[in-house]
Amino acid sequence: MFFSLSFGRFYGIDSLIELLIVIVAGIISWYSHRIYKIVKEENYRFFSWAFLAIAVSFMFKIISNFTFLSRVRVENANFVYVILTQPKYMPIVDFFSFILYKSFYLIGFLILFLIATRTEKKDKVLLFIYLSIITILFSIYFDFVFHITLVVILLLLTMHFYHNYNNHRTINTLLVYLGFSIILISHCFFVFSGVNSLFYMIGEGFVLLGFLCLLINQIKIYFKNSKNETNKTRSNKRYSRYTAKK
Amino acid sequence: MKRTKLEVTRDILDILQKNRQVKITHLIYKANLSNNSIKPYIEYLLKNQFMEEVREDDKRFFKITQRGNEFLFEFSKIKIFSESFGL
Repeated sequence: MFFSLSFGRFYGIDSLIELLIVIVAGIISWYSHRIYKIVKEENYRFFSWAFLAIAVSFMFKIISNFTFLSRVRVENANFVYVILTQPKYMPIVDFFSFILYKSFYLIGFLILFLIATRTEKKDKVLLFIYLSIITILFSIYFDFVFHITLVVILLLLTMHFYHNYNNHRTINTLLVYLGFSIILISHCFFVFSGVNSLFYMIGEGFVLLGFLCLLINQIKIYFKNSKNETNKTRSNKRYSRYTAKK
Repeated sequence: MKRTKLEVTRDILDILQKNRQVKITHLIYKANLSNNSIKPYIEYLLKNQFMEEVREDDKRFFKITQRGNEFLFEFSKIKIFSESFGL
């Protein structure tokens, strides 16, 4: 009797990609929360929650990728049978983790959409939440419903980031715009993942690329300014020390 | 070009950092704001403890706090972050 643990499709490459996405989304969420602690503006708090939800969703996706099988080799006369069995709780874990993945993922992008469109009215927010719940319920049986909903949300978000790029033509805004465009493309591939698993793998590759763009943007923010800032703040700190002495 | 809320906050804190104590009239003049438009910023900065109020001889002064200095230190990063996501 053997036990085999699989980390997902394609020898676990997809789980590895998702782990990287968890890290990237976690970094963005942490940074936004850090800004919220300084500025105390609600936008940054919700933005942090959005990326936290995306990070959590991918954690559940990784869990749902696990398949634990016990393999029993039975030898009978000239025949050899291999019986594959799955522990009872595995399909339940798989089912709930996949539902939680979809819920958190949709919540994450929905919050981003609400921030981008500056939707603050409670009735509108409640309507969006209701529609998201409907989408999640439908996607239990029809996976493509989930991806089509995300394509719509991501299309609107990409349009927002395109306008933002037009208003502030910097590499940072371009990277965010590119990142979300690539994530949008990935979900277009995911819509067809039921037809052929190759679409799933291409989609995974695009998701990774999209989040890598966001990571590069984050790295640029962190490092590019620390140089300029150190000179400025050194003199600022010297000045504040001087005024404190006064 | 119109300054964003973040930029006005930075400008006010910059003035406070360069001067030990500042009167509100001085702030209005230096930050290029009107009497009415500065009020929400004053409230915001006091509420979030970026600056504190000091009273001397019945006169009202404002002084930058440690949190205010921290804000100025992080400002450029915050600005690029919020700009890149259009927050």
